[in-house]
Amino acid sequence: MVKLTNYAMLLPGLISCLIFLIIPLAMIVSMSISTYATTSVPGSAAGALTFENYVKFFTSPQTPTILFNTFGMAFLTCFMVFIFAYPMAYILNFKIKSSIVKNYTLWFLTVPFLIDWTIRTVAWIPILGESGIINYILMSLRITSRPLTELLFTRYTLMIIWLQTYVLFMMFPITLALGRIDPDLIAAAKVLKAPPWRVFYDIIFKLSLPGVVCGFIFVFVSILGDFVTPGLWAGGLQTMGLSIAWYSGHFVWPYAAALSTILLAIALVVLYILLKVVDIKKLIYE
Amino acid sequence: MSDKIVASKDLVKWYGKSVLALNKVTFEIDEGDFFVLIGPSGCGKSTLLKVMSGILDYDDGQLFIKGNEMKNVPPHKRDVSLMLETYALFPHMNVFNNVAFGLRMLGKDASEIQREVKESLELVGLGGFEKRSPLELSGGQRQRVALARALVIKPSVLLLDEPLSHVDYMLQRKLMEDLKTLHKKLGNTFVLTTHVQEHGLSLADTLMVMNTGVIEQIGKPDQIYSNPTTVFAARFVGDINLFSGEVTSRQGDTYFVKTEWGELKASSKGGPDMVGKKLAYGIRPKFIKVNDEAFSSANQFKSKFLGYYYFGDAVECLFEIVDGVTVKASLAPEVVSNLKLGESYVIGWNPADAKLIEKPSVVEGLNIEEVIYGK
Amino acid sequence: MPMKLGEIVARLYLAFMIALVWLPIAFMIMLSFKTGGSVSFPIQGLTLDWYVAKPKGYEYISYISVLYDSAFWEALQNSALVSAAVGATTCLIVTATALALRHRVVGRDALFYLILLGFIVPGVSLGLGHVVMYKQLNLEFTFWSAVAVDVVFTVPFGLVLMMARFDPDLMLYEQAASVLKASPVNVFRRVTMPLVKWEILTAGVLGFVLSWSELVRTSFVMKGTGVLATYIFNQMQINPVTPKWYAAGTIIASVSFVGLILVGYIMSRTAK
Repeated sequence: MVKLTNYAMLLPGLISCLIFLIIPLAMIVSMSISTYATTSVPGSAAGALTFENYVKFFTSPQTPTILFNTFGMAFLTCFMVFIFAYPMAYILNFKIKSSIVKNYTLWFLTVPFLIDWTIRTVAWIPILGESGIINYILMSLRITSRPLTELLFTRYTLMIIWLQTYVLFMMFPITLALGRIDPDLIAAAKVLKAPPWRVFYDIIFKLSLPGVVCGFIFVFVSILGDFVTPGLWAGGLQTMGLSIAWYSGHFVWPYAAALSTILLAIALVVLYILLKVVDIKKLIYE
Repeated sequence: MSDKIVASKDLVKWYGKSVLALNKVTFEIDEGDFFVLIGPSGCGKSTLLKVMSGILDYDDGQLFIKGNEMKNVPPHKRDVSLMLETYALFPHMNVFNNVAFGLRMLGKDASEIQREVKESLELVGLGGFEKRSPLELSGGQRQRVALARALVIKPSVLLLDEPLSHVDYMLQRKLMEDLKTLHKKLGNTFVLTTHVQEHGLSLADTLMVMNTGVIEQIGKPDQIYSNPTTVFAARFVGDINLFSGEVTSRQGDTYFVKTEWGELKASSKGGPDMVGKKLAYGIRPKFIKVNDEAFSSANQFKSKFLGYYYFGDAVECLFEIVDGVTVKASLAPEVVSNLKLGESYVIGWNPADAKLIEKPSVVEGLNIEEVIYGK
Repeated sequence: MPMKLGEIVARLYLAFMIALVWLPIAFMIMLSFKTGGSVSFPIQGLTLDWYVAKPKGYEYISYISVLYDSAFWEALQNSALVSAAVGATTCLIVTATALALRHRVVGRDALFYLILLGFIVPGVSLGLGHVVMYKQLNLEFTFWSAVAVDVVFTVPFGLVLMMARFDPDLMLYEQAASVLKASPVNVFRRVTMPLVKWEILTAGVLGFVLSWSELVRTSFVMKGTGVLATYIFNQMQINPVTPKWYAAGTIIASVSFVGLILVGYIMSRTAK
């Protein structure tokens, strides 16, 4: 009897996945193999089955740039976010003894994260912009004679904004993983003559990898799909997300679908590789 | 202080602001000794091991290992190894890598590591287990891996925190034998903690009894057994019947001790005059005789036979002298077979076998009754 | 109280990161009170106009104060409703799934990965998928379409969080209860639920909070004014940036603030 209730309880999750995840994805894939610029069901008169969308993408001269922008930036940013987030998670877990301080810090870190996305990115204008505070300070101190326009509307802008947006997302699973490390393991390593940096690397870091991978996956995927930030900030920088949004907005479904499928496929490949290396389930059960 | 392998003077350790785990602990350990720390849970023995290994730092006092002061010396610079109560095998490494860990940290080269790990695993009876994952092992196997891991780095002092606690009875006996053998073979100093007194008595070259952060007594097991200096030590090392009483007078070689329920006699040979002192009167179960043998004893009492526990070689019998006053006697099975439950028998013992212990405990502020009945 | 160098560096680093994360917000709040139509420095005067000034005849939306921007309030309302619905739905699905996944059911790993997939699919792909699905089935976008697309993403998040915070002894308590003759329903009512109620609440609030800021996925399936995120995004594409938008942001931020106090309160009640 207990078994049955368990299966019943799995139904809501299963059904919502099927309807809202699997079917849309299936539809994208099927749409991607119908003729460019149609909105009809593939297989019908108007929507013949073809790979022309994929061909178009892979032969387009802009493709390498777009791919590089999208995935290159995503990797780079993930790495950067990781560099900033890991020490935070580490300090919170191991260096702060008082749980009051810990909770307050976590709280302070989380608040900005919940502010609406667009506003948060728009709020960078007075900081990075031509008449923003950084230029204001730099010019007052006469470090530069003219305002820096490179701060805004370049890929570096994107990285800074993404850093601020996602650092918490990376920090959170790492904190979770670090919190699950048995302190006795650290004590054992110390007694087995491991100097502090090896205690960190061999024990703490390695055991926190599931969290790192989890954070990496989330940030990576979020950046891949983010067309808002590049749209507002990157000037002419073209990413796949932007392309998809554009074609979608212009009702060129099949091409947009093809791009989506490619994006998804590459994301899945990256994920697969990561998960082979690190077992994420350790984060949750056992 | 300098020729003992481990020595401490007035060691103090606080947990937070309110818990004093080690209260001016002073002791010495001889090199090559099998040193056992016993005491009830919370007495500070685990804390002491952690302080000795360097995982915890101490707040006051001095700790010397091989003659060097250990304040601010981190664990990886001490010639001490520790096997934790929870074993703490690294889950992300197989058995080989777990055992090899310490050797790698010490910078040994690969072929040496191969050899030593293999040897160490065979020493604990786990030859061939190199590739296994700790998660696949049974509790006993995990313990052996932890032991191999701690031993392989050839520490001068090996600390073992409650190694006998999470192990079943048969395995306990075997483990005790194995530890004794290993100790003899390897010659390093072993320091072991346990809360079970029998383990202490069997294993120790030197025994140290602890109680809430202080040392009750240190000495050879048989010394503590025959001459406990405090009531607590008497209770904790070997079974004993204890009664609270006062020495009313002395006649010749005998003290007369008045207790709530009767007058007991004890030997007055040697030692200062105890007349007028309030103390604990102790008699070990093995010295109590029943019926014929009891008739010749100076201490004799009628009592009701309440029950018994069979321990194989000896039987622990419970006799009630007066309402609420029970005495444990250790008798041979043949004798017990002649006794009937609920019947009245005479029990007795020799005054010379009784012990008079004045000091309840090293812990301040306790009186005799509190220690006898276990506070 | 003397601190070791390491401790000082650590605290400084945390302070720096907090500052980094707060920087835009701080500026946003500060500049929402600025006089003048641009958001650049220096600040010449302070005013509440961007919040509450009466509109003087027909003005561009960037210059209408928040109070009088009816589209803003409509979007806010939509956001509140959508997020509330997402929160509730997430709560239900996550609880049911998390509890069931503790046992070794057939396809346990598969379902777990499937749910996690919702987390992994890039927002654009998912959004597009939903659009295509609606078009093919000839359905209209409604309030629930936004909810649906957000739930795909909030459920895995909530699930991971919830399963990580479950008391490992929970199953033991349930077993103890059934040994004491409690029926499965009673076990659930009297043992399971009381013990996980805070986690459930957290999952709900998390769902709310995640969907509140969710833009990419939602933008595909909204129509009309949409939710706050899409409203502001659309406006920002075509209108100049004035302090009015910062005022709007500050208001939105305050709501999130309150939501977080709630979460913080819940978390502290179930501190582990």
